[in-house]
Amino acid sequence: MKVALAQVSPRLGDVKANVELHLDVLEKARRGKADLVVFPELGLTGYTLKDLVEEVALDPDSDPLFRKITARTRGLAAVVGFVEERPSEKGLFYNSAAFIADGRLLHVHRKVYLPTNGMFEEAKFFAQGRDFRTFETPVGRVGLLICRDFLHYGASYVHYSSGADMIICISAAPGRGVGGGDAFETSRMWELMGEAMSYFSTAFVLYANRVGIEDGVTFAGGSFVFAPGGRLAGRAAYLDPELLVRQVDLAAVREARKKWLFKRDEKPEVILRSLERAVRAAED
Amino acid sequence: MPPKINAPFVEKVLVRFIRDKLGKCGCKKGILGLSGGLDSAVCAALAARALGPQNVTGLIMPYGRAFPEDVRDAGNLARRLGIRHETIDIAPQVDLYFAAHPTTSRVQRGNKMARERMSILYDHSAREGSFVLGTSNKTELLIGYGTIHGDMACAVNPMGDLYKTQVRELAAHLRVPAAIRRKSPTAGLWPGQTDEAEIGLAYEELDDILYGLVEERKRRKEIIEAGHRPAVVDRVVRMIRNSEFKRKLPLIAKLSPRSVGHDFLYPYDWGK
Repeated sequence: MKVALAQVSPRLGDVKANVELHLDVLEKARRGKADLVVFPELGLTGYTLKDLVEEVALDPDSDPLFRKITARTRGLAAVVGFVEERPSEKGLFYNSAAFIADGRLLHVHRKVYLPTNGMFEEAKFFAQGRDFRTFETPVGRVGLLICRDFLHYGASYVHYSSGADMIICISAAPGRGVGGGDAFETSRMWELMGEAMSYFSTAFVLYANRVGIEDGVTFAGGSFVFAPGGRLAGRAAYLDPELLVRQVDLAAVREARKKWLFKRDEKPEVILRSLERAVRAAED
Repeated sequence: MPPKINAPFVEKVLVRFIRDKLGKCGCKKGILGLSGGLDSAVCAALAARALGPQNVTGLIMPYGRAFPEDVRDAGNLARRLGIRHETIDIAPQVDLYFAAHPTTSRVQRGNKMARERMSILYDHSAREGSFVLGTSNKTELLIGYGTIHGDMACAVNPMGDLYKTQVRELAAHLRVPAAIRRKSPTAGLWPGQTDEAEIGLAYEELDDILYGLVEERKRRKEIIEAGHRPAVVDRVVRMIRNSEFKRKLPLIAKLSPRSVGHDFLYPYDWGK
């Protein structure tokens, strides 16, 4: 099957324009025979929202604009980043990722780790997600992460333990550090994690980052696909928009697990017991 | 020391920044003051690459016949980059003012001149529908070595996150003429003034201290242990603290539940 990473530059605070952008890219990906299209974090809204958060929040089940995207996923799947507000939780805004396939919303992940330090202010404006779980999709078993979630490796571990064939991270990662090569120094951090997680979880890791500039901050791009075993299957340009399309074969998960027996020998129950003890000790 | 920059990559990022910011505001043109010094030369070179030389104006604004070499270097740079340029003598308006309100303070005169240049830049930006591009580097911003509402005033500042020593690296990459790269940096407030004499230390040492304090978040003690003189470190710390007001919008006294500058929080690039 084919996966497409949509390394786009959304328009800040303009859901309508971004829905059009998403529909355009979906069509382009469909023409390229993609089975899955992954859009970046907060792709429907832009990242530096601040007080705009409540203005751009939507309920994916009922919002007419969102439903336009859902309706356009017949025959393929998409991951879409947006600000979520449910009728049952009015006034709570989540930085969320929706997995849509064949015209149906299959799963929503709410960002758990909201960076709030230095240039980041997410917990000032967003409510915190409280769960990581995998789910079945037409493109295999998937675990979703949003940006900073990925840098807390326990999150990927949960997806791995829950049987993910594919860990998908959507991101709006700003570039920092210009003392390195032909990319921001922080790009290396994401690639390192992608390589390590795909290696040791023997699963696919898809990372869709955005590009463009908001309020002087440049988003780094460099979206990538790692195949099981830490094999780089493709990386998009740094800084510039791109639709990165790569062939992936889920059989590679099995192949990698024949060679590396991490999954067979994994002991999540030992980890869980030990973690519970560590958490209890920290609380005492 | 601040790390060596990857100059081609920095150029790429800053060119995109200028293009993006102006483009979002529906503006194609940029304008800046050309002093004949390094910072404005680098900014002009970046702007010419980002917007096309025909969309960049450099204003050369000498005070009478002071600093003839700088005026010549600024003109040569503009011709070399192919940007439009114009020379405006600020002496008449400055002299008229100080004839009525005399002062013996060189700093006061220098600040007044910086603000006259600012007002001319902004007037020209309105005439030609262009954005005022700032040329303050990170070193100056951190120690507050600039005139508030003068040379620090601008619409966007592409260079504010580069230390002076890094601006030099970028200048070499952008092929800024050696005549400009080799001269001693000066604010041009009075003849014979140099930044390094006025600040009291060389930019290399200043950047080394700033990098330690700001980027590496080192304590005073650690900077001194790394080999810097205590009095110098203290002076740099003092300059940073005493110039915070130059890096912020004026404080607003909070009265309402939602106040400008406190909790009315929107992005610059709202809807763009």
